[in-house]
Amino acid sequence: MTSRALMARLGPALACLGLLAVWQVAALGLNSDSFPTAMDAIRAIPSILGDKDALINILASLRRMAIGFGAAVLISIPLGLSMGRSRTVASFFNPLLMVTYPVPKAALTPIIMLWIGVGDLAKILVIFLGVSLPVIYHSFEGAKAVEEKMLWSGAAMGLSAAARMIRIVLPAALPDILTGCRTGLVLALITMIMSEMIARQSGAGNILFNAMDMGQYDTVFAMIIIIGAMGISLDAAFEAIRARLVRWSEPQFDMPLSFS
Amino acid sequence: MNLMPSRPDLQAESAPAARPAPAIIEIDHVSQVFQTSARQDHLALSDISLTVGEGAFVSILGPSGCGKSTLLYIVGGFVSPTRGSAKMKGRAIRGPGPDRGPVFQEFALFPWKTVLGNVMYGPRQQGVEPTEAEAKARALLEMVGLKGFEHFYPKELSGGMKQRVALARTLAYHPEVLLMDEPFGALDAHTRTRLQNDLLNIWERDRKTVLFVTHSVEEAVFLSDKVVMMTRSPGRIRQIVDIDLPRPRRRSELLLDPRYQEYVVEIERMFDDTDDGGLKP
Repeated sequence: MTSRALMARLGPALACLGLLAVWQVAALGLNSDSFPTAMDAIRAIPSILGDKDALINILASLRRMAIGFGAAVLISIPLGLSMGRSRTVASFFNPLLMVTYPVPKAALTPIIMLWIGVGDLAKILVIFLGVSLPVIYHSFEGAKAVEEKMLWSGAAMGLSAAARMIRIVLPAALPDILTGCRTGLVLALITMIMSEMIARQSGAGNILFNAMDMGQYDTVFAMIIIIGAMGISLDAAFEAIRARLVRWSEPQFDMPLSFS
Repeated sequence: MNLMPSRPDLQAESAPAARPAPAIIEIDHVSQVFQTSARQDHLALSDISLTVGEGAFVSILGPSGCGKSTLLYIVGGFVSPTRGSAKMKGRAIRGPGPDRGPVFQEFALFPWKTVLGNVMYGPRQQGVEPTEAEAKARALLEMVGLKGFEHFYPKELSGGMKQRVALARTLAYHPEVLLMDEPFGALDAHTRTRLQNDLLNIWERDRKTVLFVTHSVEEAVFLSDKVVMMTRSPGRIRQIVDIDLPRPRRRSELLLDPRYQEYVVEIERMFDDTDDGGLKP
């Protein structure tokens, strides 16, 4: 391995170490009770992950996140694609989306909880809302950009309108769809923690904010590290899947061979 | 040189003895109006009637914006005409179908499929077994000169190679008519020449009916049995010219053939004579 490749491989790890070092120095310098050092926070991690209740809480969070994300993707992709291919569908849903897009989901959360309670369903719904919009938007843009002639080629081969949607529009728009899903995944994590901050019963957010109330700041920061690590791992796993699925559209393929 | 103007709807009489081939495509008084804005209509095609005989190579030649591609899309069933009708083997065209295979200037390959996957797509759609479809696709790819590129993705190919794949993909499902929409228009001159030669070789083997849209006079004369000259906006048929050059045609021989040169010069002159400013856009 060349030194440059080695650097590229180690880059993320070095960046994390750097961040922790800055944190450590800053915390030592400030010497405040509400700002533990990085070492203290890291030392608190094993006790959280070793605690059965905490693990159950974190798993419950992940479960809600998976359900919310999955449902959002299953509904948003077909909706976005039909909007991209049908002017009628687009003219109906577009204004709705434009209105809801800028509304912070945190502002909607208390209202939703007022209506349907503070249970799992409300939290899943909040995650669902957070994930849907970017996925719909990117699926819409992707479907809109599908070349008409590609659909004509499919039609000439005998593909029906429905078959063209599934076998041409869907794969052709896949790079855009997956970009939306990747954004959606991060938003799922954010809305998950947020919903648990508002309705404190269980979950990773619950551990974090309870610790905050009790002044256990090393636990607070340990949870922040754990949530951050969850975000990085989910994103990395998703990116690995995405890269495999849309290998055909990646930029390194852009160099055409010189042959007529 | 005698370029007898033939009436568009009576062209069978322009060469009565030579071509008794039955009509495969009949275009009957077709007009196409596009709405460009809320109150503005654009007449793209005006009262086009044309009959294409089975096995003929017919080029539709005209300046940009004369509606020649639209005419092809109507035959393909991708666009329905505002007035008039188009028939394929006596049956009204109501939509796209595998009996008419398009090849577009933009290639329109499926980028998520490999070269092989693209060519196998049509046969698979028609229910051909995977192994058989693959064998067929490989044979076609060899014919268009792409042996060894089966597992490449379209993005990895040059324009000329993409158009070869597109041609193979369309030939793979055995359309009775090839609809070629300025297929070599996006290619450089050298690549274009090579593809013209290869298309001619392939065509002269199985003589499928070809409807070929182009704005290049040389290309039209080199390839065709018949050149349909169109006027600019609204698109009308100006004249139909029978290209009476021997086949198989070899480029090296044809370019030196005074008859070929006369056709080219004569057609260019006729375009220059028209008051709509000739062939150039």
